[in-house]
Amino acid sequence: MITSIAHATIYVLNQEEALDFYINKLGFEVGDDMQVEGDFRWLTVYPKSNSQLQLVLAEPKEGPMFSKDAADKIRNLVKEGAFGAGVFETENCQETYDALVAKGVEFMQPPTEQLYGIEAMGVDNSGNWFSLVQR
Amino acid sequence: MATSYKLTRLKAGRDYIADNFQTPLSLSDMAQRAYLSPYHFLRVFKHTYGETPNEFLIRLRVEQAKKMLITENFSISEVCERVGYTSLGSFSSLFLKQTGMAPTLYRRKLWALSAEPFCFPARAIPACYAFHFLGK
Repeated sequence: MITSIAHATIYVLNQEEALDFYINKLGFEVGDDMQVEGDFRWLTVYPKSNSQLQLVLAEPKEGPMFSKDAADKIRNLVKEGAFGAGVFETENCQETYDALVAKGVEFMQPPTEQLYGIEAMGVDNSGNWFSLVQR
Repeated sequence: MATSYKLTRLKAGRDYIADNFQTPLSLSDMAQRAYLSPYHFLRVFKHTYGETPNEFLIRLRVEQAKKMLITENFSISEVCERVGYTSLGSFSSLFLKQTGMAPTLYRRKLWALSAEPFCFPARAIPACYAFHFLGK
């Protein structure tokens, strides 16, 4: 039986800039920040109240799985907002939204009543969309 | 779950731990930063973050120690001190409990697996990522 999800990937354009966004804007914490052989930086973040699911901030680069062309395509798709970072939950959508806007986080949709709760929709500094949901 | 006001105070206590984990910290020190009694701080912290303040402190120290053991050439005693422990015995036993290996073995094993000095080996990260990004 699978019991939980431990890691999920977010493709970012620049790990250092993404780290700054997720830590200093969204208020996440660093999970792992390891220099791995082969010039790879294993970088994960997680929301403070849940260290069980770590988001891997990964740069699409030419390597074993991506040709240069494929990596460039993914980077462009990230920039264009073709990928979503998922749904972040909050206890108070309006309050969190206000705090994030004050920090300069860009939102495409302010807190709005939905069937499943109150939701705002933002974008990280790579171009990944995310929902901020109060259930 | 804590109220917004209480969350702000809790966060102050948690940030204090995160900013000062390299120094000896007591529950009273942490609770004081949150303007809560030690018992109340402990209870609400656990309820909100899913771990006690001390578990959080140990996690931060062990994670930092893991990184130092691989990427620096400090002795085990130096690592122990630099992550906030005064007793090598306590450090070693907590490290063992968290990682399943004593600090010396952890360093020896991971260094042996890495093709590059002072880098984590590909086997230190989940295999799907190692294969995906490193081809290993």
